[in-house]
Amino acid sequence: MAKSKRRMSEKQAGYLMVFPALLIILVIAIWPVVRSFWISLYDVRLNDPTKSQIHSAYGIDMERYANGLPLLKSNIANEKKQVEAPAAGELDAVLQSVLAVDKELNQDPKFTDRYTQVDDLLNNMQPVPDDVKFLDAEQVQAQKLKDTLQDAEKKVLALSNDKQLKTENVLGIVRGLEGSVIEPNFVGLAYYKQYLTDSRMWASLGNTVLFTVLSVVCELVLGLWIAVLINKQFIGRGLVRAAVLIPWAIPTVISALMWKFMYDGQNGILAHVFWKIGLISDPGVLLTTKWGAMFSTIFADVWKTTPFMALLLFAGLQTIPESLYEAAEVDGATKRQQFFRITLPMLKTSILVALLFRTLDAFRVFDLVYVLTGGGPANSTETISIYAYKTMFAQMNFGAGSALSVLVFLCVALISMGYIKILGADLIGENSGK
Amino acid sequence: MQKKAGPLFYVFLILFLFAVMFPFLWQMLASFKPPGELFGESAFSIAIKEPTFNNYNLVFTERPFGTYLWNSLAVATLTTVYAIVVSVFASYAIAWLNFKGKTVILGIVLAVSMFPQIATISPIFMFLQSVGLTNSWLGLIIPYTTFALPLAVWNLTIFFRKLPLDLAEAAKMDGASIWQTLTKVFLPLAMPGVFTTAILVFIAAWNEFLFALTINTEESMKTVPVGIAMFQGQFTIPWAEISAASIVVTVPLVVMVLIFQRRIVSGLTSGAVKE
Repeated sequence: MAKSKRRMSEKQAGYLMVFPALLIILVIAIWPVVRSFWISLYDVRLNDPTKSQIHSAYGIDMERYANGLPLLKSNIANEKKQVEAPAAGELDAVLQSVLAVDKELNQDPKFTDRYTQVDDLLNNMQPVPDDVKFLDAEQVQAQKLKDTLQDAEKKVLALSNDKQLKTENVLGIVRGLEGSVIEPNFVGLAYYKQYLTDSRMWASLGNTVLFTVLSVVCELVLGLWIAVLINKQFIGRGLVRAAVLIPWAIPTVISALMWKFMYDGQNGILAHVFWKIGLISDPGVLLTTKWGAMFSTIFADVWKTTPFMALLLFAGLQTIPESLYEAAEVDGATKRQQFFRITLPMLKTSILVALLFRTLDAFRVFDLVYVLTGGGPANSTETISIYAYKTMFAQMNFGAGSALSVLVFLCVALISMGYIKILGADLIGENSGK
Repeated sequence: MQKKAGPLFYVFLILFLFAVMFPFLWQMLASFKPPGELFGESAFSIAIKEPTFNNYNLVFTERPFGTYLWNSLAVATLTTVYAIVVSVFASYAIAWLNFKGKTVILGIVLAVSMFPQIATISPIFMFLQSVGLTNSWLGLIIPYTTFALPLAVWNLTIFFRKLPLDLAEAAKMDGASIWQTLTKVFLPLAMPGVFTTAILVFIAAWNEFLFALTINTEESMKTVPVGIAMFQGQFTIPWAEISAASIVVTVPLVVMVLIFQRRIVSGLTSGAVKE
């Protein structure tokens, strides 16, 4: 190892050492963002088998087809034995129409081969890989199969409604077969257009901005105040530092639960105290009204992150040379002047960096709202991340949800670009650590 | 402004500490109350009539809380180890070696650390589902990379830049290879920074919620934050058990913070402050 490395130049070694980290970041973080945008251009729904993936062309889900066709044959044969002659005739016609299309499809040897392959896998109880499962098809053929199956469904449904069938099996199988026809689900920018006029999107964006601005401003003012106050010599500095880290270290979910417990309208201590001192008219308002819930969420966030802000600013304060204040003192500057003329300008970079991280964190807030209010009451604390999550994992609408998450990404990118423009290259510059 | 503190200051300090600690202390109090004392008048009382450990008992016997802890511990530890190993090399190279494009690389790392998780979740979820990795440890370790690796690379780079570079030059003069410089000169110096970064990555992975909520939905694979969040039923919230479970999770974190507070503070602030 040592020998081969000796011959390697410093440059090559550098690239070699950075490569794994860079590759992983590229594959696991950057690619998914690009892919999110890609998914948002398609109508992808995980609860609909024909739309569970991106399909840019017509195709047939061979697993479904190979599962359904033999079932259709056997069930129609079964059903025919049990029903009256006219109904049996109709069922036969349905089967013949489907088999006619199947014959047409089988004129393509690729279809026959794939059918045999999938059928073998199914018979051996083996999973069908995705690249085998989906077979591209001509639009005309796919459309024809779909039309035939829809027609079949109508006929079987009519029979079923007339109580001419003994079981519902055939209807279910025909419907299942319909799911084997894959249509392209490309929708372009339709979701973005839809969301631009969606009042729920604007409301959630508004909630996110309100939450971000209010909580970050409170955190900055309080954090700065605390930082300046504890920037003295006093007994128990270590204790304060440790105590300040506790809210930061507690998982957000747990701190959200702690606050939920204290906000509770019946047994929550904080709701009770606020009510007793007349801050709120009823102990219940903290979690059941729009402004109460928004206030509660911000309050909990301020509790959790102000200490962190104070810590960053405190570290910044300690880098300001004492001599500046001594000189100001000699020149007769007041404490107030010292704060605005020395402390604030010298802290500018620290403040901006702390603000940048806090703003981005607040803008993508999820855990706190999810646990504390669930976005309620009546979506009044729903942030854009929560909306995207609900669209994806409650409605299983991944296309639309991805569009929302791309919007979150764009907002975050805009915010960081704004900050970085003010900060300049200070953030990454070679000198920042020295 | 290194002034001596006055008595008023200590009053303020005690109030501040009280405000910071209150939710935690109140939760701890609730965890020792029998469920009956969490309602009505005694809900607001700081005295417990019949203190009990039963809530702690229930959490481990009635719920798979031990499993949640084990999953969290495994996922957070494995994520930390893997992120640190990969990023020690990258950060060493960025901080100590000469090659082009370092600023760009660091810029990418910083940008990725700002990515909102929600923007990566749909493709990651669909991928993990298609390869059958949902409800597994690996299914969380892979997406945790999105925040663990940038965090580790960024912190380590800043830490490594502070190390005395002349030592590396001296080692080079003496004819040491890059590998020897790395293992003999650099790593012993770097250990404190690596350790600090490991704590930060571990806490971030331990606390993660969104990926854990969506990817590991099976009871046997849930992590602590998701497990506790799901204690609440449709109509009732078992506060006594939630309190006990929260305390079980929080106390080790608090102890860790107390022991390593100096390191954590330096790790948290080093990226943000010019020294």
